[in-house]
Amino acid sequence: MPYVNDIEANRVLCTHCQKLHDVSAVRCDRCGGHLHQRRPYALLLSWGFVLSGLVFLVPANLLPMMVVKSIAGDDAGTIMDGVIHFLHTGAYGIAFVIFAASVFVPFFKVSVMLYLLLIIHFRWRARIMGGLKLYRLIHFIGKWSMLDIFVVALMVGLVQFRELATIVTGPAAMAFALAVVMTMVATEVFDPRLLFDMQQRSRT
Amino acid sequence: MQQTACHECGVLVALPDHLSSSQYHCPRCNALLHRRGQPFSRIIVMAVTTLLLFVPLTFLPILSLDVMGMHSSATLFEALWRLVRDGYPAIAMLSILTALVLPVTLMLLLLLILIPLHLGYRPKYVARYYRAYEHAMEWGMVEVYLISIAVAIIKLSDMAALHVGPGLIIFIFFAMTFYITTMWFNPDDIWDRDALCE
Ligand SMILES: [Zn+2]
Ligand SMILES: [Zn+2]
Repeated sequence: MPYVNDIEANRVLCTHCQKLHDVSAVRCDRCGGHLHQRRPYALLLSWGFVLSGLVFLVPANLLPMMVVKSIAGDDAGTIMDGVIHFLHTGAYGIAFVIFAASVFVPFFKVSVMLYLLLIIHFRWRARIMGGLKLYRLIHFIGKWSMLDIFVVALMVGLVQFRELATIVTGPAAMAFALAVVMTMVATEVFDPRLLFDMQQRSRT
Repeated sequence: MQQTACHECGVLVALPDHLSSSQYHCPRCNALLHRRGQPFSRIIVMAVTTLLLFVPLTFLPILSLDVMGMHSSATLFEALWRLVRDGYPAIAMLSILTALVLPVTLMLLLLLILIPLHLGYRPKYVARYYRAYEHAMEWGMVEVYLISIAVAIIKLSDMAALHVGPGLIIFIFFAMTFYITTMWFNPDDIWDRDALCE
């Protein structure tokens, strides 16, 4: 393997300003950032946040996201109810956006994070590069799962016609918000360099 | 030659002093490692524009609705404030923070970083503010919020007669100038001018 990494060379990279230091340095002398060769407790924290995210995703998808209260009665809907409603009315574009952002992205993020952790755990060397590409992808699309939370927040705020019609958030909204935050934190505490560390010749 | 390491795969890299293009990628994993230069005055103008656009957002309504003769209109803040009042402060705060507070904070931080550098000063606080900027960037979600307004409009349009308010037009421009500002900003350029902490 022709590539030498920071650990083998006894160096540590400042992840804020990209300055390379001797491994003994504690803080960056250029930007003052704290120096760690790998993000501290990356694996432990990632496992924790991914699994919590997965747990919150269950009620988020099964319970109603919002309840429309009107003179015609209460109408509670889960995320999938919303998607199906738009499919019936022929609004396929919007149905696709909601499904992608609220159902596909959160589950995809959790699966990718679990896959990355398993790559490291079982040392699947052949899957490193593919894993990194998936990591970049979920880092990029992760924010979009917040979409439905914003939609609910907006609708609750906008539709306030006292007894005629009001919208209140359902129990799924909180669970969903927590699931999104947990998966975002899980990708932030993870360190992709851990994938490549098992490719290096000497390990520390 | 400047020694650095890839932040995504850890490999040691020597950055050439004169890059053949304005960007340098990791030879092993292709991560973007370094960019050169940035249009200082254009970024400052864009950031100021974004902040100016934020002012009318606080009082112009984004939408108004009519249901059976009843009228309701709301600015972004009013819509979110009602959520706080109705007992969902956590979700309201999350929306306000990621869609409005963080973007404005990011623009202010950028101005505080770029204006002194542009004028030739090297204040020590720049490094600290930049790290704050990095963290805030992870959680700023203006573009997601913009699409969510569109989805809310479509969902509401079969419940009520809907009128788009001037606040929405302003918010679209706010999101666009915010996005352009952060795209143009290049942190590598700050450190290329080095000697910040000396
Ligand atoms: Zn540094
Ligand atoms: Zn790399």
